[in-house]
Amino acid sequence: MKRGPMILLGGLSVVAVLVAVLASGFQHDPHEIASPMIGKPAPDFTLKAIEPAADGSEQIVKLSLQKGHPVVVNFWATWCIPCQQEHSTLLAISREFGGAVHFFGLVYQDKPEAIDAWLNSRGRAYPTLIDVGSQAAIAFGVYGVPETFVIDKKGVIRQKFTGGVDYDEVSALLAGLLKEGT
Amino acid sequence: MLGYLGMGCVLAALVFAAAGSIVGFTAGRRESPEGVKWTRWLGLAFSACMIGATVAMEVALLTHDFSVRYVAQVGSLSTPTYITIVSLWSSLEGSILFWGFVLALYISISIWLTHDRSSPALADAIATWLGVGAFFCFLMAGPANPFLPLASPVMSDGPGPNPLLQNHILMVVHPPMLYLGYVGMTIPFGFAISALLRGSLGPAELKELRNALMVPWGFLSIGIVLGAWWAYDVLGWGGYWAWDPVENASLLPWLTGTAALHSAMLPGRRGTMKGWTTTLVLVSFLLTLLGTFMTRSGVFNSVHSFSQSDIGPTFLGFIAITLVFSVVVVAMRIDRLEGEGEGGAIVSRESAFLLNNLLFVGLTFTVFIGTTYPLLAEAIRGTKVSVGEPYYTQMAVPLGVGILFLMGVGPALPWGQPTPERMRALIPPAVVGVLAGALGWAFEVRTVWPVLALVCAGFAACVTVMELYGAFRIGFARQTRRIGGYVVHAGIIMMLVAVAMSSAYRVDTEMHLKKGVTVPFQGYTLTYTGKQTIEESNRTRQLASVDVRKDGQVITTLSPALNNYPQMGAPIGTPAVYTTAGHDLYLSLMSIDSGEIGVHAFQTPLMVWLWLGGGVVALGTLISLVPARGTVAVRSSTPAVVPGAAEA
Repeated sequence: MKRGPMILLGGLSVVAVLVAVLASGFQHDPHEIASPMIGKPAPDFTLKAIEPAADGSEQIVKLSLQKGHPVVVNFWATWCIPCQQEHSTLLAISREFGGAVHFFGLVYQDKPEAIDAWLNSRGRAYPTLIDVGSQAAIAFGVYGVPETFVIDKKGVIRQKFTGGVDYDEVSALLAGLLKEGT
Repeated sequence: MLGYLGMGCVLAALVFAAAGSIVGFTAGRRESPEGVKWTRWLGLAFSACMIGATVAMEVALLTHDFSVRYVAQVGSLSTPTYITIVSLWSSLEGSILFWGFVLALYISISIWLTHDRSSPALADAIATWLGVGAFFCFLMAGPANPFLPLASPVMSDGPGPNPLLQNHILMVVHPPMLYLGYVGMTIPFGFAISALLRGSLGPAELKELRNALMVPWGFLSIGIVLGAWWAYDVLGWGGYWAWDPVENASLLPWLTGTAALHSAMLPGRRGTMKGWTTTLVLVSFLLTLLGTFMTRSGVFNSVHSFSQSDIGPTFLGFIAITLVFSVVVVAMRIDRLEGEGEGGAIVSRESAFLLNNLLFVGLTFTVFIGTTYPLLAEAIRGTKVSVGEPYYTQMAVPLGVGILFLMGVGPALPWGQPTPERMRALIPPAVVGVLAGALGWAFEVRTVWPVLALVCAGFAACVTVMELYGAFRIGFARQTRRIGGYVVHAGIIMMLVAVAMSSAYRVDTEMHLKKGVTVPFQGYTLTYTGKQTIEESNRTRQLASVDVRKDGQVITTLSPALNNYPQMGAPIGTPAVYTTAGHDLYLSLMSIDSGEIGVHAFQTPLMVWLWLGGGVVALGTLISLVPARGTVAVRSSTPAVVPGAAEA
């Protein structure tokens, strides 16, 4: 039995499929796996903010007390380059939604002095929380920074953004969440 | 200056490799001895240039010549010298250069070892090697140029290599071993292509092919075990194998290589399966290319991946060309190659070999599908998925137990027709197997697959010892291949038992230890006694001292640590391990301050046997490569007289 032509045909089809599949991989970023946290209640955290409260006292933020408002939780660090790039976008979005949406920056693996200097030069609009021992980051399943979680009025995680956020995408999402009932 | 020198060497190597490949294939077709001689010289010239380029890079790294961009990326004045030396392979461009360097070593040694021959078959093989070499030179001349100058002002210091690579001495040994395994597959690939092109694979060529395959196979085995050891000793999650795409990528060519080493034993006896064996060798090489592609292209998600790079499409193009070339050559020649033998009855031990190949190929397929499925799913359905451990456990455990079973039954069966006496010889191993299972039962091993694994392992261990005894009685010097083969089997049995027990019976718990308070864990008690901070040139280490007591006596003090590297946000842990023959006590530090530490504690059975098994496999590979004395006499005797000669 001559197997040559069969092997040629079969082999070349396998090669074509394999190469096509591998080539399809060039268009995606393997780190962008949808978070299993989406659709689940956000893990609660109680953290101290760098900024003092209006009366000058220590500002403590508890996530579960924010229910009734959509919440944006942005994990970042001063040593992260994409965080610098997305910072102005986040500031703009937080100003657009004013007090209707609560924004929190969670600093990941960083030093307080570095954070203060960084914010002073780039501007601040919402509380910056220090994630002691990365416990919130672990609870949220943060892979790296920046990662941004959008939580609805009921406290359920609705979307996760890996890498710098996009102005239109986030503001459209938040506008939709604001229309939902509590 | 060094940059230009290195670039010059790479370009010269590219010219020599391309020329050598063309001259070699032409000489092979025209059967010209003069052409073969030229091919050899061009091969040596390529090797010399590649080695020169690597030396230039090493000098640039050691003298901290930050005008070379690669040095500026991975070099740092504060890293210890040995880490500066190995930062050659700590990033993309350097690792491609290192690839070329290892290929140069392999090619020059292979040319030297075959210096007494000028057959056209050899010209084809060298031409194939140089074709591969030309591609890697092309990568270095173009998309992954390690010698590019730094455009901006030259820095006074660099960031140093990735901290994970600086964290453990195994990082100095594990990558070169894998490279020696991956790159070395080029050599048997060349021999296999040559055999296919000529449509003939004689006994001498087959032996050469087998030896050429054995060397990278051995390095690959060591590299995989060291990688697992590194993961265990550094990553701090208590495990050693995560079915990460890149781990899988190193396992795939190992599996097909193992299948090829076994199927290569059949043609010598029966004259069949030559086409199959050469195909397996081609597949092994292609899988090493795929493995390199996985780490270098940014397509797969893995701890091993370098950042997104531009060489992916070029590399995929090369894989596609090599695949098409291999398929065409196999299709053209397989009938001629397989027609060469006289054929023979396929019974008993032959069947075990066929089954062995089936299992290994099945396992390869399983792992391959699991690794590429996320890409396939995304290409077709647009959803991102990841294939996790449960899939692999479900698929690989039965196949692994099947391999253990065959390792026992296969060698115990005779070649040709089984006789009643030979079948009776299966009784003692069966008894040992049942005893091994009973021993496990006594130690609370009560689930199906682990018990089956123990029974098969006992059986296989007994057969292996009996075969080794038989081989030693004939004489070590005459039986090196057979002895080496069974020593490898012994190592693999140790490893598979360790894998089965450690994955089925690992116990772990997360705990907080307050200073001075004693906490029980699996028959031990743990006491945190204090914290120590050590400043090193490239990192700050925080160590926790934990006294481990058994029956009230302090048996050891473990010091798990967290290491902070300035350029890395998260600290990297260094777990501490207390090893006994029965199990490992493993402490991984999660948080530390002077009053309390967070610890993840693991107790994992039989871990040490995994690493020892790896060492035994390496030893066996070495033994089987020692040329046997008097092999001709052994070969001419009938299989019934020398049962199971020359195993691997």
